[in-house]
Parts: sequence; structure tokens; C-alpha cells
Amino acid sequence: MTDTPADDKGAPAPSTYGEERRRAPEPEGEPRLRRAEDELRARFAEELQEGEETQDRVAASREAIVELEHVSLAFDRPILEDVSLVVRRGETVVIAGESGTGKSTTLKLILRLLRPDTGRVIVDGEVINDVTYEEALIIRQKMGMVFQGAALFDSMSVFENVAFPLREHTELTDDEIEARVREKLEFVDLEPDRVMDQLPAELSGGMKKRVGIARGMAVNPAIMLYDEPTSGLDPLTTGTITRLIMKLQRELKVTSVVVSHDIRSAFRMATKIALLADRHIVFFGSPEDMTASQDRYVQDFLGGV
Amino acid sequence: MLAVQEYFGLAAKAIRFIVARPFYIGDVIQQMDAIGVESLGIVLLTGFFTGMVLALQTSVQMAQFGATMYIGRLVTASMVRELGPVLAAILVAGRVGSGIAAQIGSMRVTEQIDALNTLGVDPIKKLVTPRLVAALVMMPVLTILSDTVGIGGGNVIATAYVGIPVGLYWRTVWEQIASGGFILHYIPSDFVQGLVKPFVFGGIIAITGCFFGINTKGGTEGVGNATTRTVVVASVLILVVDYFLTQVLLFLFG
Repeated sequence: MTDTPADDKGAPAPSTYGEERRRAPEPEGEPRLRRAEDELRARFAEELQEGEETQDRVAASREAIVELEHVSLAFDRPILEDVSLVVRRGETVVIAGESGTGKSTTLKLILRLLRPDTGRVIVDGEVINDVTYEEALIIRQKMGMVFQGAALFDSMSVFENVAFPLREHTELTDDEIEARVREKLEFVDLEPDRVMDQLPAELSGGMKKRVGIARGMAVNPAIMLYDEPTSGLDPLTTGTITRLIMKLQRELKVTSVVVSHDIRSAFRMATKIALLADRHIVFFGSPEDMTASQDRYVQDFLGGV
Repeated sequence: MLAVQEYFGLAAKAIRFIVARPFYIGDVIQQMDAIGVESLGIVLLTGFFTGMVLALQTSVQMAQFGATMYIGRLVTASMVRELGPVLAAILVAGRVGSGIAAQIGSMRVTEQIDALNTLGVDPIKKLVTPRLVAALVMMPVLTILSDTVGIGGGNVIATAYVGIPVGLYWRTVWEQIASGGFILHYIPSDFVQGLVKPFVFGGIIAITGCFFGINTKGGTEGVGNATTRTVVVASVLILVVDYFLTQVLLFLFG
């Protein structure tokens, strides 16, 4: 199990970044690097601050809810090698990285849609490597997944989409289901009466994402997983969806794992960021640690935004 | 080889789910509508013309022996035992099998199958089993209707071209049906043979469509490939299985 320095951070984050920098040991004679770091901090100042607020609220709980232990996976070529990751209850962990580095694969491993070749995947205290297909279906009910393209069932109305997991897994009456669907649609800022009878094809990209989130959270899962929640959206909608994910974390205390290459929104919502590169996790820690990191690749990744 | 194993694995799982809760009755009815009711027009039309052409051809042949009064028997034997089931099945494979593959294939490429999985629902149970049940029920129904209309089409030609009275035509039809003997005293063995086939073909169509749909890879192009393969594989399977099934049925019922 890998514990990262960020785990010791129970105390509120330092109010100014200057203090933290003074504490951090720095190699002599690299003014160029230091300049770059300052630039990065300035650039992400707003996002970092917003992130801090969220962190404080969830700092209380520390129990691990999703763990990857030395996970390796290969298909035709190796996808992940010796990847370890701990997500604690109430945290929002963003898995970032370039395209094709196995980010979405990580989500599929957590959902047990894929099995690791070696290593263990633990969800809510249960090792899910070797569970049967039927057991996996039950474990997945603890998790709500939001797909990149929303993956709404296009033969069903918005109402039926959100009601689907409720009909499958709960004994709720029709009235209770309708109340729950309305509640979830309102939570994602959609007007239930306007959208409920529409088909997914009639919705815009941002609305589809929101219905996808509403469907994912319908059975009140403890864990929400997001696959590129903001990709393909305009900057304004990206902001809306990011705020929505933060609202979910804040008000419902759900644990979130977000796969994203959108580093800007990652900084806003993440408790921790895991950076995947070349099949490995090259960085895992808080957004502050990330901007402070001297690692060349981390710097390049942030600089490339 | 692996694909064959997967194909039968899918079939076995889909069949097992027929008797397992929850039952998606709504989905089954919807599929019955899509597979059965919406195919009715095309199946009836082709059945009718097949019956007519059978009557026309046999009338020419039979005229050489002066046996044109047996047109009814020949049309009935061909329609009920062979052409009714096979033609209806091939049409439904083209119309419905491709539709199943396209629908499930697009669900695969837009991650809707993954979504079902993550929502804790087995896609085979939710998607494949209702289509299988609907096809198993509707294919025999379609075939009976196709047979009936086909024999009726034969009647039109037999009466209009050859001048066989309607009453005589239908009496020869019944003679043919009765000639195969009865099972359990009441059910003509020809009917049994004629209904075992569409039942099996219905299963082939549904499973083939679902199999290629679920295994769709590579975006919209993959969906196109899946539909094409479904029609080709299902049609070939229907014709090959028809031969072996006929052998078995002839052995059993004569």
C-alpha cells in the first residue's frame, strides 16, 4: 500500500504558498525552475484555493474505500504496471494523464469490468479480483459511473434512464421512484417537468452529462466514478459540470474518482491528483504538492495546459 | 473456434435466463412487436407469391402427366415443410437479425452495454433473452401465416389458370396434411415438422444478431460489419441447419 505525504495533511493547508516553499528543500542554483513553479502557482491560484475549501470539508474521514495494490494489466501490450492508488472516504481523486495512458482502464478495474493480471483491487474492504460475474453486479451497485459520452439508453426517456437503476435494485413504488427521479434531476439543475419525457437524442451534450450524473447517483452510491466528465464540452459547461461534481462531494459526501485530462478542473475539485504516464503513476498527491513538484514530467504536464 | 464457443455460451446463458427473475415482460412484448408484427407484411407478401409460383410451376409439370389436380398437395407439402419456414426465416434474418445487431452494436460502441453492467444489470438478461423469447414465439406464428397465405396463393393460380375448383383444391390440401399421419391423434405430423423448424430458426436469428452486436468493435464501421455478418451467418446457418433438421425430422416422423 502506498501512503503519500499528502495523507499526513490533516491540518489546513498553508494560507500562502510562500511559506510552504520556504519549508521545502530546494536544490541550489536552479532559479529557472523556481521561476517556473511560481508561474504555475500564480496560474492555478484560483483553482487551488477552491480546492482547499473542499479539502477542509472532507478532511475528517480517512478510511480507504478504493484501493489498487501493485496492479498490472496487459492486453496486446502492457497498459498498467505496478500501479498503486488509495482513495479514502470522502475524497475526490483525479486520475490525470495524456491520452492512452490507461486512465479509463483504471476505472474499469475499479468497476471489475476488467481484471488485473497481478495485484489487487479493493472496493469498500472487499477484494474484487476473483469475484464471480454475478457478485460483481452486486458490488457495482455501490458505485455510480458517469460515462464519457453519458451512455444514456437511447430507447428510453430521461425519466426511464434515471429510474432504471431504481426499478432494478430497489423495491420503491412508482410514486417513490418518480419523487427520487425528480430530486436527482433537480440536483443536477435540470427542470424535471421539461426534460423527463425527452429522449436522450433531443438533449445537448451538457444536459446528457447531467442526466448521466443523475442516473449514476440515483441509488445513492457511496462512490461516484467519472470518465472524462468535461471532455468535448465548451468552457462554460465544463465549469458547470465541475461545480456539479464538487456539489455532490460537498453535500452528499460521496467519494469520487475522476478520470480527466482537463487539469484546470482537476485542480478545482481534486483532493489528490494521480498522474499516469507510461503505464506508471509518476505522481500522487495534493494539487499543492503537484505544483511544487520538481519532477520534470509533472512540470511539463502542467506547463502543457 | 473461440467464437463458436462464445456463440454457444451466449445461447446457453440467454436460454438459462428465460426462467430466472426478473422477467423483462415489457421488453419481450416490445420485441415481439418489432420481430413479429412489423415483419408480418413482408412475410405475408412473399408467402403469397411463393405459393402462386409453386402452383404455376407444378401446373406446367403436372400437365404432362395429366395430374394437375394434385397441385394442392404439392403446394402444401412444399410450403408447410420447407419453403414456408425457410423463406420466412431468411426474410426475418435480413430484416430483424440485422436490426438486432445494429441496435445492440450501437449500444456497445456508445458504452450503453458497459452502462448496463455498471448499473448492476446483466446485458444478456436485459437485451438478449427478451429478443430470443420474442423470436422463438413469433417465428412459428409468422410461418403459420406465411404457409396459409402461400397455400391460398396456390389456390388463386390453381383455380384461375388451371381451372381446379376451390373445393377440390382444399380437399387435396387436407389430403396432403393428413397423409403424413397424426401425432397424439390430432396434430398432423407435417405441422410439427413445419413448426420445429421456425422455432429453431428464430433462435438462430436472435442469437446471431445479439452475438455480433455484443462483439461489435470499432465505432460505426463496426456496427455496419456486425449487421452484414449477422445476415450472412444467420442465412447460411438457417439453410445448413435446415438440411440436418430435415434429416432428423424425416427419420422421426417419416
